[in-house]
Amino acid sequence: MLYSAGPVAKAVVLILLIFSILSWTIILFKFKQYGKTEKDGDRFLRTIREVGSFKKLTTVYRGNPDNAFYRLVIASYKEITSMKTENPGLTKEGIARIENVLKITISEETERLERRLSFLATTANTAPFIGLFGTVWGIMDSFREIGLRGTTSLAVVAPGISEALIATAIGLATAIPAVLAYNYFLGRLKGILAKMENASIYILNTIDR
Amino acid sequence: MREETWYKMLIVSTILHLVFLAAFSIPIKKSAKRIDLSSSYSVNLVGDMAGGIPGHGKGMPSGAEELKTPPLQQKTTHEKVTRPPSAKKRQAPVRQETKAVSLSKQKVPPKNDRHQAEGLTKDELSRLDRRISEMQRRTNYLDVTQMRAKAGDGGKGSGAQGYGLPISGQGTGRPLDLVSQKYIFDIWEKIKEAWGLPGSYSSKKNLESIVTIKIRKDGRIIDINFEKRSGNRLYDESILRAIRSIDPLPPVPPSFNSDTVELGFRFMPGDVS
Repeated sequence: MLYSAGPVAKAVVLILLIFSILSWTIILFKFKQYGKTEKDGDRFLRTIREVGSFKKLTTVYRGNPDNAFYRLVIASYKEITSMKTENPGLTKEGIARIENVLKITISEETERLERRLSFLATTANTAPFIGLFGTVWGIMDSFREIGLRGTTSLAVVAPGISEALIATAIGLATAIPAVLAYNYFLGRLKGILAKMENASIYILNTIDR
Repeated sequence: MREETWYKMLIVSTILHLVFLAAFSIPIKKSAKRIDLSSSYSVNLVGDMAGGIPGHGKGMPSGAEELKTPPLQQKTTHEKVTRPPSAKKRQAPVRQETKAVSLSKQKVPPKNDRHQAEGLTKDELSRLDRRISEMQRRTNYLDVTQMRAKAGDGGKGSGAQGYGLPISGQGTGRPLDLVSQKYIFDIWEKIKEAWGLPGSYSSKKNLESIVTIKIRKDGRIIDINFEKRSGNRLYDESILRAIRSIDPLPPVPPSFNSDTVELGFRFMPGDVS
């Protein structure tokens, strides 16, 4: 049906196709990323309960640096070592500083996890409108054709309208997975953030000991 | 997650889309093919525009394209009534300015008495002979007149007679008078008027359908038959609808001299008014 559609409809469909490909790329990537981060988090919380001291904790993850939770440990470890050179021993102020560093690291990690997720929201919002634009354009064409031909027979009008409606259909087909994925990933992101908060509290506790 | 996984995911996503698109486009193609297969109809012999219609007198090349359908596949029913089973048809639809095709039934009676009865001049007769031999050269089909003579058929079958739009005597063995020609031409004009197509079709030059309609004496269309389908369902449907919408036609002029008249038309996208 698309072969006979006008250039505007073709352009609209092409744009929507690119949107769809990109949004699915993000969906697949985020799915993998979140799955990995969640698994890392579970493993981290298990090990931090088993491992008594902070020093041991830093050695556990040395082999696997690509890990959000390990980066929390690294950041706090760096802060501790820098404090130790200035004045050894943990004061209340020192703990507060480590807390801040952990907060910063968490927000960094959050940014990393949220990155490009907004594109899904954009796709979800704009794709139906782009499709609708193509449809409106196609229907305008059909009506102009009625005017030119002077016949309102369905045979003249219907194919143009059906071609036009394809654009909306593709727009919706692009938007619906994006909406679903966006909400799904937001939910998962919340879970991951909660795990990170827990991890930072655990780290503070082990440092305290 | 490292950035290189982005590329991986992009490729995966693209492949996913391509597979999806392919899955959607394959069944459409298949169904189009199926329509094509069911449409292998034959086309009857077509008259040539020798006399020309007044006010319509654009001459046309007599060298016509041949539709190479085996004559045995022809499915017009009353044909069996009007002619012996052994008789084969010659085919030579003519491409002309109006694109209307005459599908004549080749009701060729024994030549001599018929022609004399109709008072054809010698000139016309020799022209006819020339044309017949021309067509024989083009086609390997048997000479209908000879076959008929052997079969001893008088050619006065009770059924329908076939005419085409710009028919001169060739094929049917006698020329149509002006009234009949005008009648056929009027019908063609009516069909064209009723025929509507989406604008995008006017650029599709390769669509071509050949339709025969059978008209009763009072002008009622009693049969519409696709001799050749274009393969495009929408296109064929629009032709059917146009023909149905002009029913009933004005009564058949008495000059046709039979109970039913069969007319053939060729439809091309350029004909839409």
